[in-house]
Amino acid sequence: MSRALDLAEEALRAAEGDDAEVLVHAERSGVARFAGSVVHQPTLIDNAVIRLRILRDGRIGWAATNRVDGLAKLAQRAGEAADQARPDPDFPGFAPRAEYPDVGGFDEETASLGPEDQARLAGVAIDAAGDFELYGYFTSGVTDIALASTTGLVADQTLTDANALCLAAVEDASGWAERTHWRVGDVDPAAAAQEAAAKAARTRGAVEIEPGHYAAVLEPYAVAELLRWFSYDSLGAQGFLEERSYFCGRIGERVFDEQVSIADDPLDETNLPKRFDFEGTPKQRVELVEGGVARDVVWDRGTAVKAGDGRVSTGHAPPDAWRFFGPLPTAFSMAGGDAASLEELAERVGDGIYVTRLHYLSIVDPRGGVLTGMTRDGTFRIRDGKVAEPLVNLRFTVPMADVLGEVHGLTAEPLLMNMNELYDDRFPHAALVPALATARFHITGTGSGPGT
Amino acid sequence: MKALAEAAVDAALGAGASYADARAVTLRRQHVVTKNLQVDDLSDAESEGIGVRVLVDGAWGFAGEGRLDAAGAREAALRATAFAKAAPGRHETSLAPIDAKSGDYRTPLERDPFDVPLSEKVDLCLRAEEGMRRPDVKVTLAMVRAQREHKFLISSEGVAIEQEIVECGGGIDAYATAGEVSQIRSYPSQHSGVSGQGGWEFVEGLSLEGEAPRVGEQAVALLSAPECPSGRTTIVLSPEQTIMQVHESVGHPTELDRVYGTEAAYAGTSFLSPGDLGNLRYGSPQMNIVSDATTPLGLGTFAFDDEGVPAQREAIVEEGVLRGFLTSRETAKRIGAGSGGSMRADGWARMPLVRMTNLHLEPGEGSFEELLADVDDGLYLETNKSWSIDDKRLNFQFGTQVAWEIKKGKLGRMLRDATYTGVTPVFWGKLDAVAGRDEWQLFGLTNCGKGQPGQEAHVSHGAAPARFRDVEAGVSG
Repeated sequence: MSRALDLAEEALRAAEGDDAEVLVHAERSGVARFAGSVVHQPTLIDNAVIRLRILRDGRIGWAATNRVDGLAKLAQRAGEAADQARPDPDFPGFAPRAEYPDVGGFDEETASLGPEDQARLAGVAIDAAGDFELYGYFTSGVTDIALASTTGLVADQTLTDANALCLAAVEDASGWAERTHWRVGDVDPAAAAQEAAAKAARTRGAVEIEPGHYAAVLEPYAVAELLRWFSYDSLGAQGFLEERSYFCGRIGERVFDEQVSIADDPLDETNLPKRFDFEGTPKQRVELVEGGVARDVVWDRGTAVKAGDGRVSTGHAPPDAWRFFGPLPTAFSMAGGDAASLEELAERVGDGIYVTRLHYLSIVDPRGGVLTGMTRDGTFRIRDGKVAEPLVNLRFTVPMADVLGEVHGLTAEPLLMNMNELYDDRFPHAALVPALATARFHITGTGSGPGT
Repeated sequence: MKALAEAAVDAALGAGASYADARAVTLRRQHVVTKNLQVDDLSDAESEGIGVRVLVDGAWGFAGEGRLDAAGAREAALRATAFAKAAPGRHETSLAPIDAKSGDYRTPLERDPFDVPLSEKVDLCLRAEEGMRRPDVKVTLAMVRAQREHKFLISSEGVAIEQEIVECGGGIDAYATAGEVSQIRSYPSQHSGVSGQGGWEFVEGLSLEGEAPRVGEQAVALLSAPECPSGRTTIVLSPEQTIMQVHESVGHPTELDRVYGTEAAYAGTSFLSPGDLGNLRYGSPQMNIVSDATTPLGLGTFAFDDEGVPAQREAIVEEGVLRGFLTSRETAKRIGAGSGGSMRADGWARMPLVRMTNLHLEPGEGSFEELLADVDDGLYLETNKSWSIDDKRLNFQFGTQVAWEIKKGKLGRMLRDATYTGVTPVFWGKLDAVAGRDEWQLFGLTNCGKGQPGQEAHVSHGAAPARFRDVEAGVSG
């Protein structure tokens, strides 16, 4: 039993007499963030947050603390919150006791990394960047998530994660690469830095292009970001029930190219696997898009009840910091295709653009699935099926139905992309996605050039 | 708490740090959210801890520890020092001098928002929701929030500061849907409403209930409104949209740490360089931007920043020319200046970064109506809906919840799905008028992201309606 589960059960005892649920979210992590090849924002965090939800007469309230000696007051505050709420007829009750799959996701070597190791691995990346200065970070951490409730539910998982994010750059050139895994042995910071530097070396002398519709090759870094932003309104049950989702009225219909299949698969050990969600519901794979046909969105207990059609949670209750969005996918698994390489995708495009990474996306029209953002750190023209001259950063404004609507191909091997921006309490999650070639990527403007 | 921070600084110095500061922080946050006339979230969260920042041989180290006791303070100090010693490569960090001070500050307020019963907050939200309900309004949402942060800052250079900052706020949203069209209308902003530093009187002053019927009606009206046309035109931005423009295209690019590249991998850098100070034409002569950490009700108001530098008011852009950067002690020294006092940390578990405090577009002259009167054919854009800007803060695209045609100096038809785009200094060069002081409004936002690990700063901006000529509007996918 982990320390987190000990704490959860202790907090549950403090709420004796009430229907209650305790979530403990603990982290011990280090981030060696560097810029200009110098570590400048090194951050070590050691903390455990205890959230107590109390249900009284159909009223639900919650309180949280990180004071392990303050559990009695925590119970008092959560009780006061419940007392002053209103009865919620849609509250589904706390999750029942369940069996959880053994999914891995913990690595002793990763868990044992300390500040010296995190700094050393940052140094490995920096040393591998050659003539370029390196920006980014190496981080590793241990995250304990435990739940206990008066329904008898007991859930506990200790997660490890490590990732190296590398921007190799000088004033007029920049390239990007990253490596993520739950085993530090599968994260090669030097390889990430070298890939970023090689990309950067090709970006000098970037030129502008005219706005318009282009065919495009999108590297996995770009694909993952598009899916993340599309998911906020379109792939979670809240946006679906509130009629902001592009999938509204389209479940069972062909929405994308038949080569496009997207699932959320938190049980996959090649992703960052999870046993249960933040309500203690067992995780499950959810098919979102199969062969271009919209199949489902992800659900938690509350949205499943609101749907009113007998559906149940798919195990996607979010952490508190994401409550605004409701349940969301946190383990994208996009099927690969038959392209052997990025070069082959460029050949299939023939004439178009090549995009490494995206920046600062925003949702222009949720129901229409329209996103905007910029490309960066490796944007090129594709001519005659070859990656050609570098381009400045491009503004795109795209309906996802266009981007995924006509696909020239996907690479065979999906790659794991970090999705955790390290806000709030550490919650490692990632996307397993291939590169893809699309027939339509609408460029609506040009911006700054590559580099710092 | 003060003694713990002092002990942490002593421990860091004893372990080999040449400089150390420690922030002991307690934080309490309360949220009430109602949605479709049900309580959606009713929460009361507290957090405490100590963050210790050190310099060892010119290298930074930082550790945040959630145990606010003697053992936690000592461990944070030792771990921060060990991290700094392990940093690879050569480091040459040095800090601009500081006139070390002791002091304290407390938010002036009339009614402590934590003294307001949760049930009163729930009632307020439900009443506001009732006002928005319409047949085509599928979702109504109302929220109020409160936060108290109490912190001690101690440094090895003699800084000893206690501050207690209280803020609260609220907002409402109405989502209307008909067929394939879904529209949102919000007040006072889409971004979790607005907040101010002060007591519950700030929330009462928002008049959420009073504005609710208009918000509901406009959400429904948007469903049948024509789409915003494409083309180059004159736009007038509402104060709430103007402050988003200030935030993204002036605030972030003038953060001097970004200018020096420390955010390059994530949030991006800046099109500005240190040599632009005093030289670069940022916009038209009507453009005057100030950074003011003393603004009443501002979320970025304090007596001292998180390095112990006193709050300041300084020009960032004067009559269209770049006059200042937002700085820390470290970045200010690189341009030979004293710190502008813009270092702020998100709680105890994050290292301070250069952040906006309160950044305002100074008012011009005249009324909103007078601003419109000089527009023969244009658009009035209100309430931010989408926002995106490139990594050097040049190319941007914003969308607003609602637009109105301006025809012959008067507001005309409502339009939906409005967007506009531009390049920062070109766009600000097209500013030809800002309305006067009577039209100037302050907005406090709580979702300004930066840093890795990520931090969310609470910042305020003030602006009056502003008019820009020859802008590309109506960008479509």
